[in-house]
Amino acid sequence: MSLIKKIGLIVLVVIIAIQFVRPASNKSRHILPSDISKVYNIPASVQSLLKNACYDCHSNNTNYPWYSNIEPFGWWLASHIRRGKEELNFSEFAGYSAYRQRSKLFSVERSIEDGTMPVPSYSLIHRDSRLTKEQKGLIIGWADKIKDSLNNANK
Amino acid sequence: MKNISFAIVIIAIALAACKSSNNKNVAQNKINDSSAHTSGQVSPISPVNGILHIYLKMKNAFVNDDDKEAAKEGKEMQKALNDFDTSILKDNERKQFQDMAGDMKENAEHIGANAGNIKHQREHFDMLSKDMYDLVKTSAADEKIYVDYCPMYNDNKGATWLSETKEIKNPYLGKEMDTCGSIKEVLK
Repeated sequence: MSLIKKIGLIVLVVIIAIQFVRPASNKSRHILPSDISKVYNIPASVQSLLKNACYDCHSNNTNYPWYSNIEPFGWWLASHIRRGKEELNFSEFAGYSAYRQRSKLFSVERSIEDGTMPVPSYSLIHRDSRLTKEQKGLIIGWADKIKDSLNNANK
Repeated sequence: MKNISFAIVIIAIALAACKSSNNKNVAQNKINDSSAHTSGQVSPISPVNGILHIYLKMKNAFVNDDDKEAAKEGKEMQKALNDFDTSILKDNERKQFQDMAGDMKENAEHIGANAGNIKHQREHFDMLSKDMYDLVKTSAADEKIYVDYCPMYNDNKGATWLSETKEIKNPYLGKEMDTCGSIKEVLK
């Protein structure tokens, strides 16, 4: 066997082997009582935008693409989702303190406005997550409203 | 050859001049720092003062467009919040403090981790300022604190900050616009 063949065989074995190491999938059947939709009113138009543009990384329910079944892409996605949820998890939003909620809504507005969210590399593949100016306005207006209700509650 | 050595001498002089002016700034900052520190440490009454003084240093870093200094203070603030002894608080105050501190820590962490991206740091400073206002409001600082407001920042949505001086020094818009804003409230 030539050296190239040997290396090729090793690479193949490694690729097959890693397919058996699967990250836990981010799927939950029931909606937690701490879900943002349980405490705040979300219009259907906004809800569908959040679902398409945010929830894959910022909730307990990811809508996985086909390639997530292939490693190492699955690992890569899992690490993205873990970091995304750490920063903001809409499924646990109501469990945040009022201060944290206020900051998070503020960050939602700022990052959507300046296009840092949804992450451009994500939108490259997930066309649904690309937001038009009007759609951005819808989300920002909604977040603003909740922020105001929070401010009033604090006073 | 003569030309080259002449150029080297010029460069060396220029560099030396830059360095010494930097040193002057550092020395100036140090003086400011130490005065801020002493006034913070004298007061056993308001333990929040330590956190407030880090905040004010961070604010002054943003006034000077100094992202690195702001990041440094972000890390300091994280540490100060972690080390804060909540046992001195009453039970009903503790929960509120922990809620505030939790959010402040997160914002401080972003400021600390984003040297080089002052725009992002300032977004978190905006949020941190809101928490800081609540914190000072509920626990009272030992000195006069001015609550300033800039209506222009963030596409005219505006933002507040806390300051130790009556003079307006805006931390959001950078050096060119540092006098934009007005006093909204005075906390004592």
